[in-house]
Amino acid sequence: MPDYTTGKRIRDRRLAQEMTQAELAKRAGISAAYLNLIEHDKRQIGGSLLGKIADLLRTDLADLTGSVRQRLASDVLEIARALGTPDVDGIRAAQFADRHPEWARIFIRLHRAYRDADETAIALSDRLSQDPTVRELSHTVLSRVTAIRSFAEILQQHGDIGHSDRERFTTIITDQSDELAESAREMITLLGGSLGEARPTSPAEEVDDFFIHHGNHFPSLEDAAGELRARFERQPGTLGSQIAERLAALSETANRHEPAPPSHMPETTVRFAQARRLVVADLPDALKSVIDDDRLTTNAARERALRAVASYAAAALLFPYERFLETAEQARYDIDRIGAIFAGSFEQVAHRLVTLRRPGAEGVPFAFLRSDAAGNLSKPLSISGLRMPRYGGSCPLWAVHAAFAVADRPIVQLAVMPEGERYLFIARNVKKRMAAYGEPPVTFSVMLACDVAYSDRIVYGDGFTAARTSLETPVGHNCRSCRRVDCGQRAYAPVMLAGADAQGTVAG
Amino acid sequence: MARSVLIAEDEPYILESLMFLMSRAGYRVRAERDGAKAVAAAVHSQPDLMILDIMMPTLNGFEALKQLRATPGLEALRILVLSAKGQEADRRRMMALGADSFVTKPFSNKDLLATVESLIAEPRAKPANAASDTS
Repeated sequence: MPDYTTGKRIRDRRLAQEMTQAELAKRAGISAAYLNLIEHDKRQIGGSLLGKIADLLRTDLADLTGSVRQRLASDVLEIARALGTPDVDGIRAAQFADRHPEWARIFIRLHRAYRDADETAIALSDRLSQDPTVRELSHTVLSRVTAIRSFAEILQQHGDIGHSDRERFTTIITDQSDELAESAREMITLLGGSLGEARPTSPAEEVDDFFIHHGNHFPSLEDAAGELRARFERQPGTLGSQIAERLAALSETANRHEPAPPSHMPETTVRFAQARRLVVADLPDALKSVIDDDRLTTNAARERALRAVASYAAAALLFPYERFLETAEQARYDIDRIGAIFAGSFEQVAHRLVTLRRPGAEGVPFAFLRSDAAGNLSKPLSISGLRMPRYGGSCPLWAVHAAFAVADRPIVQLAVMPEGERYLFIARNVKKRMAAYGEPPVTFSVMLACDVAYSDRIVYGDGFTAARTSLETPVGHNCRSCRRVDCGQRAYAPVMLAGADAQGTVAG
Repeated sequence: MARSVLIAEDEPYILESLMFLMSRAGYRVRAERDGAKAVAAAVHSQPDLMILDIMMPTLNGFEALKQLRATPGLEALRILVLSAKGQEADRRRMMALGADSFVTKPFSNKDLLATVESLIAEPRAKPANAASDTS
């Protein structure tokens, strides 16, 4: 958001509270002239002064630095692209998020409801037969989805519509969403409840949402893990030996929730599991305060989130932010090399790279996805413009699937989406456990993805920087939504697709 | 004089969004919520283009399309079919019956408007009974 800076935000918030420059400057303990320079971006502001000004303006740091609005803007942009409106650019999305944050939030919520309903309808479409009741119900579902999509696009694309129309269209979307949920429930009942109870999200999805909302970055856990590490570093011995000693000193009660890892696991797994046990025992308050979040509505979701943030804190302890980022930049994000330096596995390092989102000290923005050999996906983390699938399968041409066929080294793919965006996909298969003879091995494929614009910063981009179309792999998101009708890997016909390929015109 | 569009759609909210979009795009808009009335309205008001939903009460889109294409005086009427069904068979059938274009639900407003505009920009070249499926 280059046109809306921290200085301008301070000025806007101050004026909104009818406070003079002199008044705010005095309370902040600086001169009015200095505040004037800050507000006009002639001086940088940060640290405790920014915190103080945020308090005085009764707002928070994220509001003044714009990170909340940036997140909103990037979500709005992602949705606009998903709806096939490529002419909405980042600047317009940022303006919308900045000027109308409350509408932007409603827009994002509605899109999520629409997308969930759309996914439900797609899942159910497989079950549709000639049963007239099912056909009637599916028609109803599709009609609701159509109305929701059309009005959502109107709200987004017609910025000049009047307040009463805006209210009415929002009400229609809300009502249609409710009726859609009701139709979906009826359909599930009709189909014998085979899709399980009708509920908006599963615990796994809630935890995904929670991580997405936080941009997969938790400053408080970074700080807590950093303090814990500093304590160890003041004492003699390696970090690993310090952790082991501390664990031995803890009573059985203190770490009953985190059983010790079996000894046959790889060393990196054992070390990570020890770090997790340690943070659970030593940082319980920090972990609990992070998951005190109303996005997590069930005990199952909170327990799952607690395990996930414990892993986050363990990674922050073993791979400290600044040093890890510096090493990653020096090693040009070579995951195996970073892993050798920090004694971390491919998956641990890849996952940590995704968390390098500290404002002002950000690494290359990566999306993350994990798949098993059957294509079941987990741990999806998206980046702006590239949504990692949460339900069902992804495009079979993605490197995350091909990586199963290639042993012990990453594969790199220059993936081109149907809309033309280009991403680097880096995938590798990883063993979660060394299997004994006869025991089935537990393997996953882990994939990172980043915009091709970053290819010169990462080692995997070498050779992909030039515009050489012969190296491109045309891919989609998944078969259902893909416009590439002539794809040899197509598993399903594109359904519920409103786009150029789903309509035809008789030549006149 | 503004071009006119007749919308035949039984779902009230989809109808409302279509009316909003078409009015905004500068068309004169008329709407009917059942197939039989829509055919009568087409004969009476001679619109430039008709947006026709397949699943409607009293006369479904297939029947309405057949009647429209058999009615003398409506040869110039461009017909864009809206349907919940994305299947190729339905599309071929509608095209064979004389539809000029086909858009599946849920549609993108932009794509729909672009299709309407491109249809209206050119006169309908073929007589209705000679419409063929070239898709």
